[in-house]
Amino acid sequence: MNNDRMSDDSMSDVSTLTNIDAALHELLDRPWLCIVWDDPVNLMSYVVFVFQKLFGFSKEKAHELMLLVHNEGRAVVAAGSREEMERHVQKLHEHGLWATLQRDDKI
Amino acid sequence: MSKFERNGEAYSLDLTLDEAHILINLVEQLLELLGEGDFFHHYDMNDPFAQLMSMQQEVVAPDDPVLLRLLPNAYNDPEAAGDFRRYTEPAIRSTKQRVLREIRTHLAILVDEDKAGTVADLEADTWLMALNDLRLALSVRLEINEDSFDLFESLPDEDPQKSIYAVYYWLGWLQENLLALL
Repeated sequence: MNNDRMSDDSMSDVSTLTNIDAALHELLDRPWLCIVWDDPVNLMSYVVFVFQKLFGFSKEKAHELMLLVHNEGRAVVAAGSREEMERHVQKLHEHGLWATLQRDDKI
Repeated sequence: MSKFERNGEAYSLDLTLDEAHILINLVEQLLELLGEGDFFHHYDMNDPFAQLMSMQQEVVAPDDPVLLRLLPNAYNDPEAAGDFRRYTEPAIRSTKQRVLREIRTHLAILVDEDKAGTVADLEADTWLMALNDLRLALSVRLEINEDSFDLFESLPDEDPQKSIYAVYYWLGWLQENLLALL
């Protein structure tokens, strides 16, 4: 049984490798996104404070992002590896911001 | 009205006894909701062994809407959200409990002495985080939205909800006041 399967697999080795290669490229091109959502409670000045504290943004950059969250209902505040984005979401939740992470959906 | 003051790098807050009572009651209720008894340990929650042990407890999305707002789902996908919760929620809870316990310690001094006083040498970040969680908790119970302030102003003084709204907006005012001093 196992041997049969191995021989089947070996026949398509080349195309499988090409597929894996393509999948890896897609993976590297599509980072994870950390998204902050608007809510009617968090003060604008507090959101600016949290963005500066957690991401090291300048006051201007933090303010710009806060307005984006407020006006658009959500904004991407960071992009990168899944582990990094999970750490950001953890810190944002600790500070009471409503944050989620997801794969970048543009391919 | 009481407000924060800054002297160099030192922050302080003068409170009336009534204000200290209101704050400590809210802090203790939120600590209770966050499962203070279950999570107050004498070992460090960041210790790898403690984390390994705590993973044996089932960590699922909370039923209480206040807890769900304080500990929201990190993913739309339920399975990924569940995994994140299992590995990360204990640390988030522990941070929230730490800041609440810290301000509780300050407030308890005033309340136990039964008089107005000053909370001196306070940590601004800690107070901002704790005040924010208290506001979030109240906002869920009050169903705060963009129109809530108008509703609050239109409520007659004898409406029991009015004083809860007043506390909610007072906390926001305090938080804004501290942010302006940073």
